[in-house]
Amino acid sequence: MEFFERFAIPHPSPAIYASMVAIALTTIAVVVGLTYFKKWGYLWREWLTTVDHKKIGIMYMISALLMLFRGGADALMMRAQTAVPENTLLDAQHYNEIFTTHGVVMIIFMAMAFIIALMNFVIPLQIGARDVAFPRLNALSFWLYFMGAMLLNISFVIGGSPSSGWTSYFPLAGNELSPSVGTNYYMLALQISGLGTLITGINFIVTILKMRAPGMTLMKMPMFTWAGLITNVIIVFAFPVLTVALAMGTMDRLFATNFFTTTDGGMDMLWANLFWVWGHPEVYILILPAFGIYSEIIPTFARRNLYGYTTMVVSMVVISLLSFVVWVHHFFTMGQGALVNSIFSITTMAIAVPTGIKIFNWLFTMWKGKIQFTVPMLYSLGFIPIFTIGGVTGVMLGMASADYQYHNTMFLVAHFHLVIIPGVVFAMIAGLTYWWPKMFGFMLNERIGKWGFWFIAGGTVLAFFPMFISGLDGQARRMYTYSEGTGFGIWNMLSFVGAIGLAIGFALLVYNIYYSTRYASRDIGDDPWNARSLEWATHNPVPEYNFAITPQVNSSEAFWDAKKRGHKLFKAGYKDIHMPNNSGIPFIMSVFFFIFGFAFIFSMWITVIVSLIAILACMTYRSFEKDDGYHITAEELKKAESELRGAK
Amino acid sequence: MQIDKTKPLEYSTEQGRLNILGFWIFIGAEVMLFATLFASYFTLVDRTGSGPSGSEIFELTPVLIETLLLLTSSFTIGLGVHAMRLGRTKAMLTFFIITLVLGLAFLGVEIYEFVHYVHVGAGLQTSAFTSILLTTLGTHGLHVTFGLFWGTMIVMQVMKRGLTPATANKSFIFSLYWHFLDVVWIFIFSFIYLKGMM
Amino acid sequence: MKELFPAKHVSGFVFSLILTGVALLVYFMDMSFAVGMTILVITAFAQATLQLVVFMHAGESSDKRSIYISVIYGIVIAILTVLGTLLAMIWGYV
Repeated sequence: MEFFERFAIPHPSPAIYASMVAIALTTIAVVVGLTYFKKWGYLWREWLTTVDHKKIGIMYMISALLMLFRGGADALMMRAQTAVPENTLLDAQHYNEIFTTHGVVMIIFMAMAFIIALMNFVIPLQIGARDVAFPRLNALSFWLYFMGAMLLNISFVIGGSPSSGWTSYFPLAGNELSPSVGTNYYMLALQISGLGTLITGINFIVTILKMRAPGMTLMKMPMFTWAGLITNVIIVFAFPVLTVALAMGTMDRLFATNFFTTTDGGMDMLWANLFWVWGHPEVYILILPAFGIYSEIIPTFARRNLYGYTTMVVSMVVISLLSFVVWVHHFFTMGQGALVNSIFSITTMAIAVPTGIKIFNWLFTMWKGKIQFTVPMLYSLGFIPIFTIGGVTGVMLGMASADYQYHNTMFLVAHFHLVIIPGVVFAMIAGLTYWWPKMFGFMLNERIGKWGFWFIAGGTVLAFFPMFISGLDGQARRMYTYSEGTGFGIWNMLSFVGAIGLAIGFALLVYNIYYSTRYASRDIGDDPWNARSLEWATHNPVPEYNFAITPQVNSSEAFWDAKKRGHKLFKAGYKDIHMPNNSGIPFIMSVFFFIFGFAFIFSMWITVIVSLIAILACMTYRSFEKDDGYHITAEELKKAESELRGAK
Repeated sequence: MQIDKTKPLEYSTEQGRLNILGFWIFIGAEVMLFATLFASYFTLVDRTGSGPSGSEIFELTPVLIETLLLLTSSFTIGLGVHAMRLGRTKAMLTFFIITLVLGLAFLGVEIYEFVHYVHVGAGLQTSAFTSILLTTLGTHGLHVTFGLFWGTMIVMQVMKRGLTPATANKSFIFSLYWHFLDVVWIFIFSFIYLKGMM
Repeated sequence: MKELFPAKHVSGFVFSLILTGVALLVYFMDMSFAVGMTILVITAFAQATLQLVVFMHAGESSDKRSIYISVIYGIVIAILTVLGTLLAMIWGYV
């Protein structure tokens, strides 16, 4: 019995017991359903073993949506708890757990997954490539991310959730103040999914540098691909920092080392330092792909080419460098001297300049354009003002002396939500709507989509603007309740109403997917938006080989040139296409990583060693395996292509 | 699979060229990994708590032996790749095996060194300084250990399959990894040991 | 036999041994911290460059631009991280 006691929840509540039952029932339902409909083979062949970048992108997207709802449920509970003063819906420990998992899930498992989903699906198509450079590693990336996400998500029913904030500052996150295994979950889950992200970074840099269609020089790449390249450069150089920090944190908790302790020379703020050395570039990892998406959508629906292509590229390169030298602004109040704060204040304000340039470029793109108010365009238009408000309040926070007033108040919470939501969430929904026909061959309903937009945009404004006021009035973040006399009640109630608006908006998004899957027309052609870049030059949905003939490119808007200026995209005839074989190794290896992580969290060392050996065995198998893939012959291509054309 | 005969075997296929560039970018990531460890080391180096400081526990002899072993192994694997380009499979295998033996010897001395540290009261848990010292050295040591495991598999594959575009590519990438570990060691040697004993 | 030991590799190896010897001076000779650190920085980076160019063939393929950019970018960010961390955690404390 003693063995099982470690898995018990330290702070149980009826809600958690209900979740346990719900998880068990869902699992049983899925297993029974798959067996009943005889879908196990299909699932294994088509999804679990796939190395196709399009399917991996779709799996990332589904996972991201699931995580959005997990994190969203946390957010609703937080807003409900603080909606009225002295509320007793949640106790303090519960509230701590919920704001922690909200942050982790939303940043690491929702936003990251969503940007990687769209990069996976779109970038190889935009550069006219067959797939990414390393299709199997791509599958491994996804499964490592997925297993990391699952690991964190079982924490609240097995052993207890992390509760020291998504930043997990020491000494709060140390054993003494966080005795449950929750923080171990945090360390291991982030470690495993971070490994997957690093592999993605390498994979996409090589893909973009080496696999572009003939004629597509670097300065003729579509802007989303440029954003993807810069993002992945930041990923490759930022994520190792997180790896080290997490390893040190894990060792402090499990092996009693003294990195971040308060005794024997340990330095708790070193964690904060390392965390933000990764954490600030991470912000740009999230925002740059979003900038790329807007740079695709705005020209398409303003019917003008992108204003200031070169300045867009230069500003992203500058951002990628500056993003590594601003991190101290997250802890201006640590106690370092004025010189340090001044240096990081200046770099922080400097980074607003390239961002501002991009905003103006989008505005100039729309200047004198014929704007079509489609759903993706609405999100792009909503993004600009809301993001600008979020951004300029960020510059306020970047002034070190003023930051002493704002630090750790709701003002900060308002700032970063007003940057991340329009910056990332709007962009993801816009991108999803925009590329949906590419993925599935039908369009999402515009009417439901517009309703969703107004709920989400309105909800965002209503939920987060009041926090500026309550924050300036002195409401600290992460407080589970407050007294009536503070006067925070009204602002928090408004936020709660806004949060409900957001929830309705997201529910509409899901309803839209359901509705459109059932009723939308499948007869949409290959170019439903009258778009400009190369991904629209192949069929909807995309065949597994992407392009039957490698396209020839001579500008960043190759497809537009082909439509309007008589540029010939497909000059050569059909040739055999080399395809990679599916493989179960990435999935199996990731399952062992999951077991490894779980055993590590609970200090079950024999299982740790066994799963490590299993992981090495998978690598050995892979190393010795001879796998040269297979070919789709020119004959088969010709047949498939004529069928795809005939079906229209 | 298209094979370009004008290039060395390891570069002769498109996938081979992708692998090599990908590995270089991975090395960029590894630079950051070790930089983070060094940043933490420099931050914590004087925070010895009740434990010993670097100058009290470092010994020049084992460190110098480790340095020479790793420098020589980096030289021999370079010769191995050179032999591979001449198509001399046997010579290449000999150099690779010498490299792995030198790596193993390095690991042996490092284990001796660790035992010594624990013996003189500088264990993993003693102080912030000893924690980061042993973690930094340990991370490098783990890389070497993984390299031994990886290199053995590659030697086995070359023995079994001969020099093909695939095995040549793997061998070349392994040599990059091994040289990189040598570079990291040079920084450890200079900025942990020599700076500590200065 | 001789073709297996090209002059480039052998001289590279000898040079790396010399650099190690120079670095050892800081141990055997009495010098100020600043001078010692200067010697270490120079020898360590020279060694790294030697490995990169002579042994790792960084500049031999058509991807050499990408390779050098990646490595140099990594080194620049790495140095900024180390110096920035020291600035914030040690030097900046008044």
